[in-house]
Amino acid sequence: MTQPAGGGSEHSAPEGQLRQGGRTLLLALYTALRSIKMYPVENTTVQKALDDLHASARSLLEAEVELEIRVAGDFLFVNGTRLRVELDNYASFSHILAMLRAVEIGVLHIRAGMDRREWQIFLGSLLSVSQQGQTDERLEELQERLEAAKVTHLELERAQAEGGASEQDRHQAKRVYSEGVAVTREMVSGIRLGRGPRLKRVKRAVQLVVDQVLNNEMSMVGMTTVRDYDEYTFTHSVNVCIFSVALGKKLGFSKVQLYDLGMTALLHDVGKARVPAEILNKVGSLEEREWKYIQQHPWLGALTLFGLRAYEEIPYRSILVAHEHHMKMDLSGYPRTIRPRTLGMFSRIVSVADGFDAATTRRVYSTTPIEPDQVLKEMWDNPKRGYDRVVVKALINLIGVYPVGTCVILDTLEVAVVAGPNPDAPQLNRPLVRIAVDVDGATVPLPGNQVSLAEKDESGAYKRSIVKVTNPARFGLTPGDYFV
Amino acid sequence: MLPASQVSELIQAIVKALRAFQMYLPNNPIYQRAIQNVRTALGPVWAATDELNFHMTESDLLWEEQSVYHQINKSESLAWSLFKDGMRELTIHKGAEAEEVPLLLATINKARFLPADAGDDLLTLLWALEFEHIKYRFVDFFAEGGGELPGPSGAAAGESTSAEERRARVAEEAPERPKGLVDLDEVDSTLYFLDEDEVTYLAGELAEEYKRDVRGSALNVLFDLMETQPEGNVRDEILGVLDQLFPNLLTSRDFRSAAAILRESKLLKERAPNLRMEQVQRLDGFVSRLSEPAIVGQVLQSLDEASGLGLDQDAAALLRELRASALEPLVSWLPNLSSAPLRKMLEDVVDKLAGSNIAEVQRLLRQPDSPALLGVLALCGRLQLHHAVPGFTDLISHADPAVRLAAVQTLAQLGTPGALTLLDRSIDDTDRSVRLAAVRGAGSRGYKGALRRIEVVVLGKSSKSVDLTEKMAFFEAYGAIAGPAGLKVLSAILLQRGLLKMKEPPETRACAAVALGRIKSPEARDLLQRAVDDKDLVVRNAVNRALRGAAS
Repeated sequence: MTQPAGGGSEHSAPEGQLRQGGRTLLLALYTALRSIKMYPVENTTVQKALDDLHASARSLLEAEVELEIRVAGDFLFVNGTRLRVELDNYASFSHILAMLRAVEIGVLHIRAGMDRREWQIFLGSLLSVSQQGQTDERLEELQERLEAAKVTHLELERAQAEGGASEQDRHQAKRVYSEGVAVTREMVSGIRLGRGPRLKRVKRAVQLVVDQVLNNEMSMVGMTTVRDYDEYTFTHSVNVCIFSVALGKKLGFSKVQLYDLGMTALLHDVGKARVPAEILNKVGSLEEREWKYIQQHPWLGALTLFGLRAYEEIPYRSILVAHEHHMKMDLSGYPRTIRPRTLGMFSRIVSVADGFDAATTRRVYSTTPIEPDQVLKEMWDNPKRGYDRVVVKALINLIGVYPVGTCVILDTLEVAVVAGPNPDAPQLNRPLVRIAVDVDGATVPLPGNQVSLAEKDESGAYKRSIVKVTNPARFGLTPGDYFV
Repeated sequence: MLPASQVSELIQAIVKALRAFQMYLPNNPIYQRAIQNVRTALGPVWAATDELNFHMTESDLLWEEQSVYHQINKSESLAWSLFKDGMRELTIHKGAEAEEVPLLLATINKARFLPADAGDDLLTLLWALEFEHIKYRFVDFFAEGGGELPGPSGAAAGESTSAEERRARVAEEAPERPKGLVDLDEVDSTLYFLDEDEVTYLAGELAEEYKRDVRGSALNVLFDLMETQPEGNVRDEILGVLDQLFPNLLTSRDFRSAAAILRESKLLKERAPNLRMEQVQRLDGFVSRLSEPAIVGQVLQSLDEASGLGLDQDAAALLRELRASALEPLVSWLPNLSSAPLRKMLEDVVDKLAGSNIAEVQRLLRQPDSPALLGVLALCGRLQLHHAVPGFTDLISHADPAVRLAAVQTLAQLGTPGALTLLDRSIDDTDRSVRLAAVRGAGSRGYKGALRRIEVVVLGKSSKSVDLTEKMAFFEAYGAIAGPAGLKVLSAILLQRGLLKMKEPPETRACAAVALGRIKSPEARDLLQRAVDDKDLVVRNAVNRALRGAAS
């Protein structure tokens, strides 16, 4: 259903054929880029890669007359058809996306007659300019080189500024988020009263999260910074759902798999509905007896889900995730297990999402949130935490080294809130930020001024760099305000 | 220009197809033809346009603002079935006819008959399909009352601190350089951060997630909780879940999970500390209920109907957990099973159950009217259940000759002194088959106790008339049991002694020859040699056969 802005070519082969041909073309493009990067042009590997690329493009052009490769969000479209990312082609698609973004290419028009020589010049120039100068000057430089080398069958269009999410995306993300919270609240309240949830509504809420993550991931991830102290139980479930779905997307899950994962994530803490409210809402630190009660929520959740009558089929996968999300890779943690068990992939993902969101959120019984970057560091560095390291790695790449919502001090003495990872992937440590406090200490009106920390000045030096992660409360800032 | 009548025709074909979808399975020719009719109706449409766009009201489908379908009866209305779930617009593009239109119709049909409290509706079902050539629009989901939209926290940014304070705090913190975050050297700072090993790992783990026996693992959660959570109400809740689950597992033919419940309930009685008596009884209840004859019959019927679905191993695991009371229905069902592999599996199960429940076997042997009687008799022989012999006393005088026959055959298989004593009595049975089986059994076992009854026939003193086959069986048994001691009697019958001696009929002399052949001694061979050239063809043939047999 998803289509990129701008549509596609008027000429069209059957979509299945286009999808298949498009994948082949992108894989050939990736192979050629890697070969040119690693070997001299004369090398037979490079020559063969160019032959393959030329052949796959020509084959598509015979049916299509003209090819348009468009970048939209995290997707690649060939003549309007979205290419599905699978785990086996994930690396190549990501690399091409990163390369096109580095030069701010939004659309490539490839016309009939494009020959090997033109491909070679284009790819060589693309590699060369992607590593030099300022991002916003690279496309012009590339176009000049192509013109000079008489590459006439290729036309490039600049990408529309992404800058995180559009106003429309943010609004939609807010609606999806609030629906998720409402559904969770209704479900938890229902369970407390012994009623089953309206499953249809729960499903739709998760489907909306999946759609929104697929269409504009950062708008949805940004919503997780809205940490409502009073509604922690509900917002936390929605946050874990968002992080899990976004992680699943990062790991190459299909849409239906993302839904399955999202559903388990939204229900992961359902057992808290059976923990006495006075313990859940107790202000201050908990006594050991109370902690023990809190630690029962995984199996209470499993029991609750077994009893949901509204399900046609008992939600076994959700039961397992509810039960396992506090278990470590070696099955230590809680609850204690007796029979042999393997920690499922969904449980590991939800566990990472849950751990990150819980630690970075202020709760009634843990009023001091830890800064997001410190949480990531702990999750990554400390094997005793028992997380799946590949999943943690995926989380770091999802939200950046400085996660969304992190409050940072810049070397310009400005204070900013991280809005998203840099779309130029190699700049993982240079996120997009919203300036919240200017150099004079004055606050900038919401939602702050968005800038990329990858921007450079005339001398080639970065205009702004992070010098420290700080506590937003020290500056009277609420990171969530910058996303709503 | 596409006329509205053409679009109406298409909708009519779709409505008919939905009716066919409702009544027939996908492999039915009527179902297939209905799809083909829709495709045919789309032919002239695609000749005129590349897409069809419909809007729907409660009773109508609108195409280019004209009604192309109208039905006010909601239970029959296609428009209503789309409208009620929130669909307001549907666009079908050229290319959808191959795969997506049939899928769309099947989904509409499915959604139409979902109960109001089902977990799905048309929207949730269509969502998972990811159509390429079909687009749709539903009413705004949020219109039904989503939560309040999140907004800023309300506090103006930084209102609690002055600009000077903020500047001072920045200055205070700023000199520190960022260190100690995630080490960038450890993270491949590109989007394609996963190396090949990690990609392989993830692909494998995801595949494992979907291969995982989620039901089995979830049940293990319950069993673990029974052991780790001593609170009575928790255990009651778990038992309640299992109570509800168990029949559903059987219904869905998940025999593996059902077997796990039986196995674990046995284990939990030993391992879960401080179970209340009532909880122990509930744990016992699973296996005792399933072992009830009526329920075993249901399971076996279901299994027989599902034969070929590869459930035999799981079913065997379930049936192996059954109690002795299941033996009778299991054995009764054996001859009725149509699947040979299933019968073999069930025989193994029955053998194990009988082997460990001799008392039940004996009980069944004392049930003259049990439908399992013949099967139980057979398994006593197969398993050499010597302890079961006392149960045969009444069976050898059972009214049904088939039962008596089976009893005699089993006694012969068992071959213990007790069994052969009972067997001996059947040599005088009124039924020829039983007598034959008894005398052959006694002969094969060389049971000397039977000699007296056999001799009566061999010496021609029996009041019963016996045919040649039976007579032959008696003679063979006589030879096998009497051995060299029988040479005199047999030689007298085989060899005629002078004109005054009474001449035995050739058939009796042939029987004596065969009996001599069974003795296999040099003397017996000598006697046979003397009759090699007997004038009677029947005798001569029998002698030659006996000599060949004796030599082998």
